[in-house]
Amino acid sequence: MKNEILRFENVSLTYHTRRGETTAAENLTFSVREGEFVAIIGPSGCGKTTLLSLAAGLLVPSSGEVTRHGTCGYMLQKDELFPWRTIEKNIYLPLEIARKNTAERRKRAVELAQKYGLGDFLQSYPPQLSGGMRQRAALIRTLAAEPDILLLDEPFSALDYQTRLNVCDDVAAIIRSEKKTALLITHDISEAVSLADRVIVLTKRPARVAYEHDLDFNEETRPIKRREKQQFSAWFERLWKELNA
Amino acid sequence: MKHEFSKEHRQYLARGRRNLALVWILRIGILALLLGIWEMVTAFGCVDPFLTSSPSRIAKTIASLYLDGTLFYHIGVTLAETMIGFVIAVAVGCAVALLLWWSETIRKTLEPYIVVLNALPKIALGPLIIIWFGTGSEAIVFMTVLVGVIVATLHMLNAFMATDENKILLLRSMGANKFQILFKLVIPSSLPSFISMLKVNVGMAWIGSIMGEYIVSRAGLGYLIVYGGQVFKLDLVMSATCILCVLAAGMYALVALLEKLLVKDAKS
Repeated sequence: MKNEILRFENVSLTYHTRRGETTAAENLTFSVREGEFVAIIGPSGCGKTTLLSLAAGLLVPSSGEVTRHGTCGYMLQKDELFPWRTIEKNIYLPLEIARKNTAERRKRAVELAQKYGLGDFLQSYPPQLSGGMRQRAALIRTLAAEPDILLLDEPFSALDYQTRLNVCDDVAAIIRSEKKTALLITHDISEAVSLADRVIVLTKRPARVAYEHDLDFNEETRPIKRREKQQFSAWFERLWKELNA
Repeated sequence: MKHEFSKEHRQYLARGRRNLALVWILRIGILALLLGIWEMVTAFGCVDPFLTSSPSRIAKTIASLYLDGTLFYHIGVTLAETMIGFVIAVAVGCAVALLLWWSETIRKTLEPYIVVLNALPKIALGPLIIIWFGTGSEAIVFMTVLVGVIVATLHMLNAFMATDENKILLLRSMGANKFQILFKLVIPSSLPSFISMLKVNVGMAWIGSIMGEYIVSRAGLGYLIVYGGQVFKLDLVMSATCILCVLAAGMYALVALLEKLLVKDAKS
């Protein structure tokens, strides 16, 4: 068994506002191992983004423990590229923040961008790029810091359907070929089934782990191909029922 | 490249040029028309130029101010007071806004004070300013700062507070501290607001300096206006007002130029 990169152990989180308190998560226990692509799905409003904030260490759990070995890279719904920076300067952003802005790392980041088709756009500004290209640039920015785990917060939900399928394929290919560990949070069942090795189903708020499945697609990792397989609709139906239980 | 454009595109460009030319012709035409009517009605005795002055009398007044050597002295005094007040108001406003952005406690604590200072008509402080700063340029600069600083503070605080929450989240997930969030995100994303604040404050600075000169002064354009009014020399009042218009427009144009240099957002 490979090393655990991320582990939630009996994690609970309560939000406090002046109007009262809300328990967003209760006794959450799961883990993500090195090289795995895990998807978490849950009914809307179950506190998915809270979960990623916990994983990123931006929130401290009320009880329980979150352990993460290594660094994380966060990818949000929108690309959040800085419009006053070129694509190249955007990709250097995490290096600047982590004070790892060395010539060697910059070179590697640029190579990554060139490898995945952004070479011609390095000197462009974000508004000059299409939505799909921008999200790809956001992924390269996330990868530039060489994180040990990628946290993906519905990264395709802001794109139109056509672009979404393409970018989903792109992102899957890049993550798999860079052998990255990833934790995807989404409410889109088909996205989870087409991308992940393992799917965790959450309950309504307060979020708890309801089901956990290893997906068997015989080593097929391309989302478009997975969508054509028979297992795809079977998994889709099963997860749909579990979500609406 | 130009000869490769299609006929339709050339026509489109030509239309654009014609439109711009038309706008400029109309602008200059309106000015000429107004000045013409003004000159005519006074020349033909429909209105008394003693009350309304006239373009030719304004020109004569400015020329005589120039000949006795006081024109540029008065312009210089007012311009210096306005510029110094403007720069201090902008600098202090930005610094206070940063402080308020940085600490929620300070922000909440100072909120009622700022609201009151903003609503207070600064001219009410006139007597205090004279007593504190005397009757020199210091008093006028202080008035200029007073009029501009609250506007600058509120404008910049709004800009800082409007920073995209998701971008802050992104930076925090990269491990950014508050300084990094400030310098990498908050300040650069507030640049367009900074420019619009400068534009607003150009107007505020002129209000402050002229108001200051109304209260207390021995020189400057505001002084000429007050003096002209007291001795019923409306030619002088109108001349000083016209010079003010030109100076204010010039200062605005400088800010617009700064905007072109600073905001290089490639949106083509």
